[in-house]
This record gives sequence, C-alpha cells and structure tokens, in this order.
Amino acid sequence: MLQFCQWLYSSGLGTAIRESIWIFPIVETVHVLGIALLAGTVSLLDLRLLGVILKNQSVAQVARQVLPLTWAGFAVMAVSGFLLFAAEAADSCGNTPFRIKLVLMGLAGLNALVFHRNPVTPVRARIAGGFSITLWAGVICAGRAIAYVSK
Amino acid sequence: MSLLFVFEWLGRSLLGVWMQKSSYAFEAAEMFHLLALAGLGGGVLVINLRVLGVGLTSETAAGLVRELRPYLIGCLMVMVCSGVMLVAAEPEKCYYNTAFRVKMPLLLCAVLFSAVVQRRWLAWRSLAVISLLLWAGVGLAGRAIGVI
Repeated sequence: MLQFCQWLYSSGLGTAIRESIWIFPIVETVHVLGIALLAGTVSLLDLRLLGVILKNQSVAQVARQVLPLTWAGFAVMAVSGFLLFAAEAADSCGNTPFRIKLVLMGLAGLNALVFHRNPVTPVRARIAGGFSITLWAGVICAGRAIAYVSK
Repeated sequence: MSLLFVFEWLGRSLLGVWMQKSSYAFEAAEMFHLLALAGLGGGVLVINLRVLGVGLTSETAAGLVRELRPYLIGCLMVMVCSGVMLVAAEPEKCYYNTAFRVKMPLLLCAVLFSAVVQRRWLAWRSLAVISLLLWAGVGLAGRAIGVI
C-alpha cells in the first residue's frame, strides 16, 4: 500500500499536479463544489427515508430520480479526489483523517448495499437514512480534517 | 464609507477573541460551513435541475420548493453563522481579500435572486441557469478566499 502511494506520488500525474500552481486549487474547488452534488442529493434521499421531507412521494420514486444525480456526484468526487490523492499520496497514506474518511465511505456504501438488498420496512428505512446522513457528514468532516493534520 | 470598522469591531468582539484564541473553533466552524454547503448546495441544485426538467420530476418545482424551503433556510442560517465565525477569526484578512469582496455581493445577489426573482418566475428555465451560475460563483469565490 505504502509502495503504491509512493509510486503514485512520484508518478508524472502526481508530480504535475503538485508542481502546478493552479491545478491543485482548481481540482480542490471541483471536489468541494461536488459535495453539493454527492452529499447534497444523498441527504435529500436520507431525509425522505427519515420521513422528514417529500412525504407525498414514495421512497422508491425519490431514490430512482435522485440517485442518478448522486452517482454523477460520486464520479466527480472520485476523479477529483483521486487527483488530489495522487498529488499528496505519500503524505495521505499515513494521514489518520484520510484513513477514517475511507472507512466511513466504505461503511456508507455497505449501509446502502444492505438497505437495497433487503425488503423495505419503515423502521429499516429510518435506520438506513439515519446511518447514511451521519456517515456522509463524517466523510465531509474527516475530508476537511485531512489538511489540518498533514505536514 | 469604509466597512473596515465593522470587521475590526467583529475581530475585537467576544466572538472574535474566542475564535482567534481557540485551537479548534476555526476548524469546527469550517466543518459546519461545509456540512451546510452540502445541504444548501444540494437543495438549490435539485430545485433548479427540476425546473430544467432533470431529476425529481415526479414533484412540481413549486412543490419541491415548498418541501425544501425550511431545510434550505436552516442550512443558509448555519452557513451565515459559521461564516461570521470564520470572518471573526481573521477579519482583516477577509476585508482585504479580493475573493471575499467578490463573494459577499455575489451571495447577496444569489439569495435575492432565489428568494425574490425565482419565487415569482420559478418555471423560467433561463432563471434556473442563472441561479445555478450565481450559487456556483458564491462557492467558487468562497473556496478562493483560502487560496489567494
């Protein structure tokens, strides 16, 4: 893992992003604005699961229409996040908030998977929504904390 | 008239002193600012995309606005409060920061545009595009405060 991080760090891609004055802040801005598309749309679905908003629409209806936007956001975040990681891979590898962020993202994915694989009951929907919105909030906070701890 | 005195007062206020002394307050305020960005940005995005015919089309745009308004106002409140806290931590840096000077008028335009103009002519697609651009501009300028 550490070897991969060091390879990525010293690769052409990692070096180019790190040495350019503009690429890193631009990619970072895309990554921050992408939060709205990914976490913003996820939170709307989660609030529907919790029964807070859009109660006149079924969960399935909201999910079918909102999740394509969420996946688009995920693509934006994954690409921009990978580029940011490439520039700082050697530092990120041992960065505690970065590790916490990866774990929280994994748990959020697992939560969604478990929810989709099982029959929907109101209680289950609330639990899944509560877990999801909490985990994604954690992902955002951990992501912000990466820069506080490094260097 | 220069608004510098407002920033100086904010920096000397109880909030300013606390923000500058505390070792975690700035970081915490930044996290709340980001969390509320997700909520506000996501809501604004979904409503304007709905006007453009994308996403939550099973609900009318007006219905979506009605449903999301309390949530959006709540998120905006968190953004403003955490934003004031961030400014109180470094008021003079903000006052002389070009990105900050771009962001504040843009923010005012975006809020007024959403609350006044779009409230009246919600179905207009061109207005939805302008709204998205205004809010994206606010986010862009906000991110730039820390870069320049």
